[in-house]
Amino acid sequence: MPFVFQQPPLKASRALYDGPKDRAIVYIMESSGGMVAGDRNDMTISVGHEAKVTMIQQSALKIYPSQNDKQCVQEITVDIEDNARLEWMPEVVIPFSDARFNMSTAIDMRSTSTLIWGEIIAPGREKRGEIFDFESLRSTFSIRIDDQLIAQDSISIQPAEMNLQALGMLENAQYIGSIWVVSPNAHKLDVRGIQENLLNNSTVRIAITRLESNAIHCRFLGAEQWDMQEELKRVFTMFSEQL
Amino acid sequence: MKQQKSDSNNRLNTADIHINSTFLHLMQIHDSAFPIGNYTHSYGMETFIQENRLQTKEELLEFCKTFLMHNLLYGDVILIQEAYRATNIRDLNKLQSLDELCGAIKLAKESREASVNVGKQFMRTVLPLCADPFLTKWHTCVKSRKAKGHYAVVLGIYCALNEFDMEMTVMMYMYSTVNGLIQNAVRSVPFGQNTGVQSLYELLDWVTEAAKMAQKLTVDDVSNNALSIELSSMKHEYLHSRLFIS
Repeated sequence: MPFVFQQPPLKASRALYDGPKDRAIVYIMESSGGMVAGDRNDMTISVGHEAKVTMIQQSALKIYPSQNDKQCVQEITVDIEDNARLEWMPEVVIPFSDARFNMSTAIDMRSTSTLIWGEIIAPGREKRGEIFDFESLRSTFSIRIDDQLIAQDSISIQPAEMNLQALGMLENAQYIGSIWVVSPNAHKLDVRGIQENLLNNSTVRIAITRLESNAIHCRFLGAEQWDMQEELKRVFTMFSEQL
Repeated sequence: MKQQKSDSNNRLNTADIHINSTFLHLMQIHDSAFPIGNYTHSYGMETFIQENRLQTKEELLEFCKTFLMHNLLYGDVILIQEAYRATNIRDLNKLQSLDELCGAIKLAKESREASVNVGKQFMRTVLPLCADPFLTKWHTCVKSRKAKGHYAVVLGIYCALNEFDMEMTVMMYMYSTVNGLIQNAVRSVPFGQNTGVQSLYELLDWVTEAAKMAQKLTVDDVSNNALSIELSSMKHEYLHSRLFIS
């Protein structure tokens, strides 16, 4: 890893090599224990030509209550050059009661490069009965391949102003999970076969679809964290091994 | 949702609607018989029907409200308005980026393809009706693959060129879309015609309220919270037997 510029509370580990030989692993650490109203986290990740990296967040991202009406902001900007590969292991974003959070992730990559990205949004500290008690959460995730915008997923939740349980909304789900895959080999994947093998029961609903330009999206809606997270990690690993 | 004022609840209060051939043409392009193939799409509703999750009038209404307020309003409606404004200043580059955005926010493959197919069919149908060279310019753009030709964008362009009122345009668009969903539900669940009529009547206030809300929205507000509908739209392509294309 040629360059690391960092400022507390964010810190990136040195590159570790305990997986496949050509694959670096970098941990992202957030030493403050969570974001407090008005905090801002900016991350810029550049994956150079033919570089291969797996990035792992050390823990879930906790968003504390907004006592001063200010929102927390997180912006992640990613650039993946030709024939490079980035895996971003899924971690959970937990907005506490009264939290205001605005996160955006913008990925710019080439059609020769590979991306496997996972993320999970929790309703709050569910086990404490804190379910959709946050003030607002806006998440914008976008992927550009060869300068063409192929996906923009914007979710904007204000629990007090919307009926999240309504038919067509989240219904009985509380956890929102996503996997984004881009690979020059994505066309070889049998998405129908993958869909048929996905866990779909009364607590987890999952669907897979093809986007433009060799990209695939998987959406997970889960009533409980454990089942959904386990299935999301299984599907993430399957993509990682097959692509 | 706010309580409607009594005068706006009176549907005979049409004094502020200037009925002329322009308005009639706006109605014509949103008629369910206008040949753009809208009736062949359920936008994920068929998955709900096959999973027996849409069996009552109440469920139909709830589905339509979610689709209207959390998918259409913050998606295609914003894009129609932005395309309308971009057309007024003849900004072709802006229209191309709106067309790209329109495809990018439709994550479900079938809904994305439906938007392109309906858009192309709309373009073929209205081209002979419109002499404005800007529409031909956009058609050339789509033919040369500089744009996909999404319905929301070409509708915004056409309505601006015809100088339709923008609020009326998005109101008619939302009305015709939920009407299409209801008619598809009537045929496929099935429901009685009266259920369909009553459901649409109950949604009229929601449509007018959504059209008012739309006036304050810009491209920065684009979002989709109807995640269960989106997920069902993604699953639709794997259903074993289907009446609808999406």
